[in-house]
Amino acid sequence: MSTVTYLDAIRVALADAMRDDERVFMLGEDIGHFGGPFGVTKGLSDEFGTDRVIDTPISEEGFVGAALGAAWMGERPIVELQFADFISTCFDPIVTVAAKTHWRSGIRFPVVIRAPFGGGVRGGPFHASCPEGWFVGTAGLKVVAAGTVEDAYGLLRSAVEDDDPVIYFEHKGLYRRLKGEQPAATTRTPIGRAAIAQSGTDATVVTYGAGVDLALRASGTLNDSIEIVNLRTLWPLDEPAILKSIEKTSRVLVLQEAARSIGAAGHVLSLVARHAFEVLDAPPALHAPVDTPVPFAPELEDAYLPSVDSTAAALRDLLEY
Amino acid sequence: MADETTATEPARTPEARGENAPPCVDATAVSRATRLELLRLCLLQRAIEDRTMNLYRQGRISGSYYTGRGQEAVGAAAGLALGPDDVVAPLNRELACHLARGVEVAHVFRIFLGRETGPTRGRDGNMHFGVPECGIFPLVSMLGDLCPVTVGAALAFKRRNEARVALTFWGDGGMCTGDVHEGLNLAGVLHVPAVFVIQNNHYAYSTPTEREMVNTDIASRITGGWSIPCERVDGTDALATYACVSAAVERARADEGPQAVEAVSLRIHGHAAHDDARYVPAELRADYEARDPILRLTERLRLDGVDEDTLQDLTEGVTNAVAEGLAEAESAPDPDPATLEDGVYAMPVQGAERT
Repeated sequence: MSTVTYLDAIRVALADAMRDDERVFMLGEDIGHFGGPFGVTKGLSDEFGTDRVIDTPISEEGFVGAALGAAWMGERPIVELQFADFISTCFDPIVTVAAKTHWRSGIRFPVVIRAPFGGGVRGGPFHASCPEGWFVGTAGLKVVAAGTVEDAYGLLRSAVEDDDPVIYFEHKGLYRRLKGEQPAATTRTPIGRAAIAQSGTDATVVTYGAGVDLALRASGTLNDSIEIVNLRTLWPLDEPAILKSIEKTSRVLVLQEAARSIGAAGHVLSLVARHAFEVLDAPPALHAPVDTPVPFAPELEDAYLPSVDSTAAALRDLLEY
Repeated sequence: MADETTATEPARTPEARGENAPPCVDATAVSRATRLELLRLCLLQRAIEDRTMNLYRQGRISGSYYTGRGQEAVGAAAGLALGPDDVVAPLNRELACHLARGVEVAHVFRIFLGRETGPTRGRDGNMHFGVPECGIFPLVSMLGDLCPVTVGAALAFKRRNEARVALTFWGDGGMCTGDVHEGLNLAGVLHVPAVFVIQNNHYAYSTPTEREMVNTDIASRITGGWSIPCERVDGTDALATYACVSAAVERARADEGPQAVEAVSLRIHGHAAHDDARYVPAELRADYEARDPILRLTERLRLDGVDEDTLQDLTEGVTNAVAEGLAEAESAPDPDPATLEDGVYAMPVQGAERT
């Protein structure tokens, strides 16, 4: 098996999905001959043609709505947003049309919205956000985030095959940093299922996206046995998997890159407060950035984002309680 | 109770019979059968809406209620202009379009009454429904949203080389939304078989068109601004509107790209049941009441030689259909709260219990 990057795994998943099903096509800005701002779709229009890798005007509201209309007619579109931050411009078709239509009419929307999120790339307030919290908790949507090369491939393949609208958050900071074996074409990461990224007994870290790699590295600096739950699906949450791990370790740290009052952490902590109270040996902990937009200057962004050191410190506090 | 008898007895003046209304143009391409069907659809929308407004005022309909009085001809014309394999995304003034696509009267009353067997199983009311098996997408209240959705349906037809058309409606109010710009622009760039019918009914809720936009010439803006052919038609004239929308639909089907029609009318009722539309000047209202689309089409049919018995039979048929449809809907079961979470997802995540 060849070694690929997280970004390569996404591109291969897109190509494999289009090869397997002619209903799958892509809409987005500069995704054709240019290959997208990060090169994720590079070469795809050569193989599949400009009728399947469609360059659009700068009209997120327009082409997300159009993807829903095409899905109504039985197609399976994949939409690329250049940056997850821009999802605010197509909030309406996502939360009103995509989320509510099946419940009130039975019309299915097998649409995937790819949203490159996350910081560490000096993107600043408009190119480094983690806006997943706007959608976690919205009935009718499924929200996923890949934290490993295998999930980058497997979650995308599962999202394309799902009959509900799926927002697929892919982390820009992992694009070329994370490497692994090219997942087999049969790889599917089940939607709605968390995974144990590392087994342990002393404390649980519940995280997703870039937090998975961060938690692995932070736990490596400690002598304690840390279990890491990689959520993979942020909505609907895999509640049994979260609770099962906490029942084993009795301590939990929720780690996320989204600002502390949004993202998925609030839902996880609510679950813990309601259903894990009696098994906890310490108050549930949260490690996440302060409530500001993502800053630009390296000194500010480095202070804003959770790091290996700050995550290890948060874990030590939790273990010492 | 002499007053009540007088109130319910139809007046017999020439005005009430529409004999002073200007007849629809004699669009020769429109067959007599189509003319009669257009009249039946307009009468049916009005009769359903009149009946439902009474139900609302009696407290038998929850929420609010929206009618398309004065605009019936546009929905009827567009609904009949489409082929059986075409699809449509109507708004809330276009009940006749649903009826033209084969939606049953009882089904319409079932949504208004919020019944389990209605199109949304009680999850939504008013005109907020679609009937997928009739090729109808459910209304979304955020104006403009349906424009890009319709463009996407048309894109699917183009991708598959299917000679099908997707049509949607919005109004002078919806014309001011960003979605409409993005959808029109995308439709042009992608050259898809979409048809846009703009119901210019003079008012966005209470705001007149000239306070919504500086250039109120919607047809020329769409033609010149987005390079999408857009003809303006008198939306109170069912035959002119039918001919205009039919031509647009067939141009779209013939791969001539997206098409548009601006149908001008007046919303005779307020935005919804609570709104008495007192902001509409009396002269404007009088002008449009004299050009009631039903009276105009009836007058055209009289000139065509259709006899009064035929017109009477049509009216009685509609009256009976409304009575029967309402009775059937009223006997339908109410929704079961235990089913509230059904259908949130097409593929529910198994085992992830919601707590």
